Amino acid sequence: MTSSRRTKDILLYKTYAELKAEAQRNFLGFLWWVIEPILFMLVFYFVFGKLLGRRPEAFIPFLLVGLVVWLWGQATIVQGAAAITANRGLLNQAFVPKVLFPTVVFFKNTFKFLFALLMLLIFLVAYGFEASPIWLEAIPVLAVGGLFVLGAAYLAAALTPFFPDLQVLIDNGMRVLFFMSGIFYDIDALNTSYKAVLRANPAAVLIDSLRAILLSGEHADWWRLGGVLAGALCVGGAGYAIMRVNESRYAKIAY
Amino acid sequence: MPRSPTEGRRPLLSLASAGVCYRSRRTLRSAGALHWALSNVSFEVMRGETVGIVGRNGSGKTTLMKVLAGIIEPDRGKIERNHSSISMLSLQVGFLPQLSGRENALLSSVLLGEDRMAAKRNLEAIVQFAGLEDCIDDPLATYSSGMRARLGFSVAYHTTPELLLIDEVLGVGDQDFRQKSTAAIKQLIKSDRTVVLVSHNLPTIRELCDRAVWIEDGESRMVGPTKEVVEAYVK
Repeated sequence: MTSSRRTKDILLYKTYAELKAEAQRNFLGFLWWVIEPILFMLVFYFVFGKLLGRRPEAFIPFLLVGLVVWLWGQATIVQGAAAITANRGLLNQAFVPKVLFPTVVFFKNTFKFLFALLMLLIFLVAYGFEASPIWLEAIPVLAVGGLFVLGAAYLAAALTPFFPDLQVLIDNGMRVLFFMSGIFYDIDALNTSYKAVLRANPAAVLIDSLRAILLSGEHADWWRLGGVLAGALCVGGAGYAIMRVNESRYAKIAY
Repeated sequence: MPRSPTEGRRPLLSLASAGVCYRSRRTLRSAGALHWALSNVSFEVMRGETVGIVGRNGSGKTTLMKVLAGIIEPDRGKIERNHSSISMLSLQVGFLPQLSGRENALLSSVLLGEDRMAAKRNLEAIVQFAGLEDCIDDPLATYSSGMRARLGFSVAYHTTPELLLIDEVLGVGDQDFRQKSTAAIKQLIKSDRTVVLVSHNLPTIRELCDRAVWIEDGESRMVGPTKEVVEAYVK
């Protein structure tokens, strides 16, 4: 019923439209895509770097890598969960494959993330880190990370219209996960028996790998990333299948 | 089913005993009640004809249009499709106030099923028909509701699905544009396009439709030539 070309056109236009609409909503517009992560980082730097007096070597770059990656995933998954319900008007006016909605959310946030990433890289070089060829290894790492974020957004989008309470669980679950992902501390430096559990968290794997590459000039841990990739395919595949099977049910339940 | 003048050919779309069931949201305090908005609807749409749908408020006409458009699938019965594209003449689909009129027209066209190239090709005609040449690059938020309605109508009017569904949208905007859009829609329906039209306006149904379907309590009560169906419905 829907050609792949139409799907591609909708994806392109809707992503562009939502990015532009977001940028037009206030005076500073797209500058917020840069300012927001910086403000967020300043708060954490102040609390953990100054107030609590813990200030390891190169804490700002360490924090920044974690935050930039986290904000990308968190925004995509939380907005992904609401993606289908947020388009309920459109859903009842025209047939649109539901998988498009979380995909648009992913593209929108990835675009903003790439902006922040570019700022991050510029900052790292200015801070004194040397841009080396090993930085290129960040590309496949981010591809795996992106696939996981997209997959999680698919599953969240597929299930939330059927179980609206999930939105609350996801919002709060992400808050818990934030503290468990080693964003402002190093999981490997912890002295706890839960370390293996914490290290299995996909967000932690992604953040650890990027820190290794960008800050230490070491290779990523591809065994752990392989696990994330497998998880991404399972979670994303399940989400995709649920959306396809229930394609025509969402218009009846999204309200 | 009564005989039709188009018997023998393959229908573009056919419904056989179709039913659609809604369930209200389950909560701790309620199990969620079932409600059959459509229970038993059967009819066919042939290439090139205009089929009118008549029925009182709450008889299931809007649900029926959603089923025909493919937005929801019947929970029982069958629907068979032999068309390449179908869409409802919906106004202002996906409009975002922060974007310009031009951007909204492109986005809306694509959402309604046009491909990007066709949407761009149609853009001049869309703007001209809506009479918005002077402000098409201004943000939609600065438009009056009449201007938005004109743009929405013009976009929908310029889409070209093989099967067009129209749910009572004859005429929007001010007096002049209402006449212009009504005339345009009537012209469109009278052409060799295949159309399913829902309307409470029986003279319009009589004027435009080859055949009609009478829907009552979620069932197709009668299917046949417009004159006979409308007469039976009025009684």
